[in-house]
Amino acid sequence: MYIQAFFVAVFGLAAIGFGVVVFRTSSMVRSALALLFSQTAVGCMFLAMQSEFLGVLQIMMMATEMSIMAIFMVMFMMDPGGLGGMDMSHQKRFSLGAGGIAAATAIAVALLSDWGPVTAEAPDAAMQTRELGFEMLGRSMLIFETAAVTILTAMIAATATAIPAREPANHDHKETSR
Amino acid sequence: MTPDPILTATGVRQKRPSVLQKLFSRALASNLSCLVVPGPEIALAHGLDVKAVGMRIAGTPRDASVLLIVGKLPEKMSEAVAVLFAQMPRLRAILVLGARPPSSLPGTDVSGDLSQAALIEAVARLKQVMAKGAFASSPEDFDSSVLHARTEYVCPMHPEVVEDEPGSCPKCGMDLVARETGESTPEHHHDHEHEHHHHGHDHGEHEDEHEQCHGHEDREHQNHHDHRQDHEPEHHPDHNHDHSEGEGHKQEKAETEYTCPMHPEIVRDEPGSCPKCGMDLVAREDMEDDGGGEEAPGHGNDHEHQHHHDHSDYDEHDHEHHQDDGHEHGHGHSGHEHGGHDHGASGFMSMIEVTKDLPRSADGLQMDWLEVPFGPVFPGLPGGLKLTLTLDGDGVTEGQAASVVGITSEGEEDGEMDANTFIEHLSSAMPLAPVSYRLLACLAIERAAGLEDDSANAGGRTGALERERIASHLGWLARFGHQMGFAWLANRASTLQLNVQAASKEGLIELEPSLQALATRVGRTPLLKARLRGIGVLPTGSSDLRGPVGRASGKGGDAWARLWQRLDEIPASLDLIKAAVEPELPVLRNIGSDVSGTGETTVETPRGESRLKVSLEHGQVTSYELDTACSHHIDLVAELVKGRELGDALVAVGSIDLSPWEVIS
Amino acid sequence: MSIAIVLFALLVTAWFLAMIESWTATGRLHPAAPLLSGLAHLGRESVVPRTPDRVFFETAPVLLLVAAMLGAAVLPLAPNLIIADLATGALFFNAALAYVLVALIMGGWGPNGAYAMVGGWRFLGQLIAYAMLIVMPITAVAMRAESLVNTAIVGSQESLWNIVYQPLGFVLFYIAAMALAFRPPFDLPTAEGELAGGVDAEYTGVRLAVLRLARLLLVVTLASATTVFYLGGWHGPLLPPWAWSLIKTLAVAVSMLLVGHYLPRIREADLLGWCWKLGIPLALLNIFIVGLLILVVP
Repeated sequence: MYIQAFFVAVFGLAAIGFGVVVFRTSSMVRSALALLFSQTAVGCMFLAMQSEFLGVLQIMMMATEMSIMAIFMVMFMMDPGGLGGMDMSHQKRFSLGAGGIAAATAIAVALLSDWGPVTAEAPDAAMQTRELGFEMLGRSMLIFETAAVTILTAMIAATATAIPAREPANHDHKETSR
Repeated sequence: MTPDPILTATGVRQKRPSVLQKLFSRALASNLSCLVVPGPEIALAHGLDVKAVGMRIAGTPRDASVLLIVGKLPEKMSEAVAVLFAQMPRLRAILVLGARPPSSLPGTDVSGDLSQAALIEAVARLKQVMAKGAFASSPEDFDSSVLHARTEYVCPMHPEVVEDEPGSCPKCGMDLVARETGESTPEHHHDHEHEHHHHGHDHGEHEDEHEQCHGHEDREHQNHHDHRQDHEPEHHPDHNHDHSEGEGHKQEKAETEYTCPMHPEIVRDEPGSCPKCGMDLVAREDMEDDGGGEEAPGHGNDHEHQHHHDHSDYDEHDHEHHQDDGHEHGHGHSGHEHGGHDHGASGFMSMIEVTKDLPRSADGLQMDWLEVPFGPVFPGLPGGLKLTLTLDGDGVTEGQAASVVGITSEGEEDGEMDANTFIEHLSSAMPLAPVSYRLLACLAIERAAGLEDDSANAGGRTGALERERIASHLGWLARFGHQMGFAWLANRASTLQLNVQAASKEGLIELEPSLQALATRVGRTPLLKARLRGIGVLPTGSSDLRGPVGRASGKGGDAWARLWQRLDEIPASLDLIKAAVEPELPVLRNIGSDVSGTGETTVETPRGESRLKVSLEHGQVTSYELDTACSHHIDLVAELVKGRELGDALVAVGSIDLSPWEVIS
Repeated sequence: MSIAIVLFALLVTAWFLAMIESWTATGRLHPAAPLLSGLAHLGRESVVPRTPDRVFFETAPVLLLVAAMLGAAVLPLAPNLIIADLATGALFFNAALAYVLVALIMGGWGPNGAYAMVGGWRFLGQLIAYAMLIVMPITAVAMRAESLVNTAIVGSQESLWNIVYQPLGFVLFYIAAMALAFRPPFDLPTAEGELAGGVDAEYTGVRLAVLRLARLLLVVTLASATTVFYLGGWHGPLLPPWAWSLIKTLAVAVSMLLVGHYLPRIREADLLGWCWKLGIPLALLNIFIVGLLILVVP
C-alpha cells in the first residue's frame, strides 16, 4: 500500500516536472517531448494504481500522438529549435489565475468529497480488462461507435478541405479564352 | 619504407597503453572500416577489391577508421579530404595508394601502389600499426587552413539572410544566430560536423576534454537563455523607455490599435482582453499602406525587444531598416514599436504572418528550408560530385550539382605537352573511363598527324572500349544498387566489374552467362520498378542527352528506362567483343617526330559521345578542346531534383550516371 | 532466475544476428565478430556534434534499448520463462515499441544535423503508414486467444499455429515488424545511400555501440513477437519448449536480416499508399475472417 502510494507520488511529481519543462524550454521539440513524457508519467501513475489496461493504453497512445504534435511544431512553427530563445508562456496573469483556481478546486474535491470505504482488493488486471471490454462493447458501445465514426468523418473532412481544389479543365478553358 | 610502430600523432587517442587499451587496439585492427576517397567506384575502377582484404566500406567519416586515398586527388578534393579526416573519430589512420598524400593531411600511416597486392600488403601493415600504436600519451591536434572557420550570422527563420555581424533579421526582426562556416571553401561533407570538429574534436584532445568543451558550449548556450529569461522582468522599464522613444518617432504616421492574436476581427483602441477568448490584446500599428486586418500582429516582439536592449547603438539605424522592410514585405512590424505594453502576450506568434513571405514548395507547405550538401564524398553518389540540395523536410525544393574533380580547362593548361604525355594526362584524369579517353586522345592525335584510320588495330581498340563499357555499366549498377539500398545488386555488380576489367576475350565470353543472369535477376526484383518508374524523366529529343541517357529517352526517359538501356547495352557490347580481336589497350601509333596539324574525333564513351580537338605542333600538343557528355548532363540535375522527394531526387541523379571527372569546368 | 535466462537468450540471439550481419558486410563468418566490433566501438572516440540537443542526443540510444527490452519482457520463451506475464501483454508490447519512434525522433533531432533530422522525421512518416498494421493483426490474434496475455496467446495455438489460421495477418505483421525495426527495405531513417546513415550518422564510439545493440535487440524482439503471435511460440515436437522459441525467433530474425539484402529500399510515398489503401483493408478483412472462424468453427 505504502509502496504503491510512493510510486504514485513519484510518477505524479515526474508528470508535474515534465509539465513544467514544457514551458521552461524555448525549443518546440523539447516542449512537445516533455509533454509526452509528462503524459507517460501519468500512464505510469495508472499502472501504480493497479489499473493496468488504462495505464498501458495511455503510455502507448501518447507516444505517437505527441510525436505527431512535435512534427507539426517543426513544420509550422518558426524556430522550432529555440535558437532565438523564445518564451513559451504567454498570458501569464490569466494562466496563473486559472491554474491556481483549477489546482485549488482539484485539491478541494480530493479533500472534501466522500470517497467511501477503501476497496480492500481490486480485481486483478485480467479481470479488469475483461470487464472493461464488456463495458465498452455492451452498454457504452453506441457512445464509442458514434465517437469513432465522428472522428473518422472529421479526419476525412479535414483532409478533403486541406487538398486544394483542382479544376484542370476549367483552368485550361480560361487560359485558352484569353 | 620501414613500418612506423605508432600511428600518425593526429590519429591516436590519448590514453596510456594498458592491457585494456591493447585489447581495444586488437579489436580495432581486426575491424577496419574505410572511407574511400575519392569514392569506392574509383577503387573498383583501379581493380581494387577493398572488401576482399577484410575492410568494411564506410559510408561516412564518422563510421570510418581508415581514410583510404586512391590515386592522385585534384586540389579541391584534397581540401575536402582534410575536412573528412577531421570528422573521423580517433583512432584513425591514413592509407594512401598510388600517390603522394595531399598536403592538407598530416601525412600517411601506410602507403602503397595502386594494385590489389599492394593493398593487401598495406592493410596487413596497417593492422600491425594499429594493434601496436593506437594509444599514445601525446596525441597532436590536426589543424589545417581549410578547417578554420568564420562566424556568420543567420536568421533562424530566413536561411537566406546571412550577415557578417550580429544583429536582427531585416525580414522578421529576430535576433540572428551565430553559425560557423568554412573560410576558404565550403566543401564539407557534413556542414554541421565540420563546425563541430573545430571546437569539439580536434582542439579537445581526448574524450573528456572534448566533452568538457561541449559542456561548456552547452552551458554557454544555457546561460544565454537564462540571461534572457532573467533579464526580461528587469529590463521592462528600460525597455519601455526605449519603446516610448520609438513611439514618439512613429506617432506621426500610425495609430495604435489593440487586437486579439487569435481573433483578428476584434479591434480596440485600448488595451484589454479579448471578449471572445479572454486573451490579452496585442498592440498593433494601423499601417496605412497595407491590408491591415488580415495579419495578426505582435510576432516576434520578444526578439526585437531583446535586440533593442542588447544593441542599443544600432537602434536608430535599425528603425529605418525595419520601416523599409515592413512596407516592402507587408509585414506589420508594429509589435516592434508597441508590443512592450504587454509583455505577457508578446511571445505569441501568428504563423500565418510569419510564414507569409516564405516561399512555398511543391506540397504547398511553408517550412524552413535547409541547404544541405551531399558530397563531394557521399555514399551513393560518385565521389567528387557535390550536390547542394535545398531541403524542405524530405522534399527537395531546388538543387544544383557541381564537380570538385572535373578536368580544369579546355585550352592549353600546362603549356605544350608531348603527345604521349598528353594521352596519359587525359586518361589518368578520367579514372572512370580511362580507356575511352586514351582512345580518344590517340585517335585525335593520329588524325592531327594526318594518319589514315588503320583497320589493323581497330579491332583491339574496339574490344578494349567495349570491355570498358561493360565494366562501366556494371560499376554504375553497383553504385546505383548501393544508393537504393539494394545490397545484393551492389555486391554482385562490383564483383562482376572486377572480373570484366581484367578479363581477356575468352574470359569475357565465359562471363556472358553471369551477365545475363544479373539482368534477369534485376528484372525479377520486386519493388524495383515501383522505385524507378517515372523518376527522373528527361525531355525526349533534347540534344544535350547523349549515350545511354539519350538512347533511353525514347523508351520512357525515366530511371527505369535508363537501367534497362544499360543492361541491354551489356550483351550488345559483348557481341561486338566477340566479333573483334583480343581487347588491347590503345597505344599511339608512330606519328613521326615532327608533325603539325589539327585533328578532331569523337568516341562513344560509356557515358556518351565525347569530342576532342587537338592541335599538334612539331609533335607537341599545344592546345585541345574537349567536349564530354557529362558536362551537358550535369546541367540536367537542377531540373531533375526540383520538387522531388529526397530519395527520388538522388535516384534521379544517380540514374544519369554522372562522372564528375568528365565534367569540364 | 527466469529474468536472467530470458536476458541471456536475448543476448545469444543478438550475438548470432550480429554474426550474420558482419558476414553480409565482410563476407566472413567469424564467431567472435560481435565481440570484436563491440570492443572496437568502445575503443574509439565518442564524438559529440557541435551544439547538440544534449539531452536528446544522449537519451536516444538508451531509450531505444529500453524500448526493445521492455517489448521483449512480455514475450514468453517457455510457459514459465517470461519476465512479466502481464494481463495486457499484447497491448504492452505495442506500448513499449511505440517508444522506438520517440527514440528515433530524439536521435534525429539531438545531433543538430540535417541528415539525422530528416531521418528521424522520416521514421514518423513511416510509422503513420504501418502502425495500424502492427495493431490490427495483433487484435485478430488476441481475438482467437480471447486474451491479451501472451502466454494464453501461445496456448491458443497448440493445435493450429496462427500462421495457418490467419496467414493474412502473419504477412501484414511480418512486413510491419520489419518496418518497425527499420531494416532494409524499410531503412528510410538510416538510409546510407540517401542520408549517409541518417539517425546513425552522428553516433560514434560507445554511443554507437549502444545504438547498434539496441537495433539488434529490436529485431530480436520483433522476431520473438512474430514467433509468439503466429508461429506457435514454444510449441514443437521433441525439443524442449525454450529451444523451439529460440529456433523460431532466430529463423524469423535471420529472414528479416536477409530479405532486405535482395530488395531495393521502398519509396516513402509508396509505403504510405500501399499500407493505407491495401494494408488496412486487408487487416480489417483479416479481423473479419478470424471473427467468422471463431463464431462458426467450434
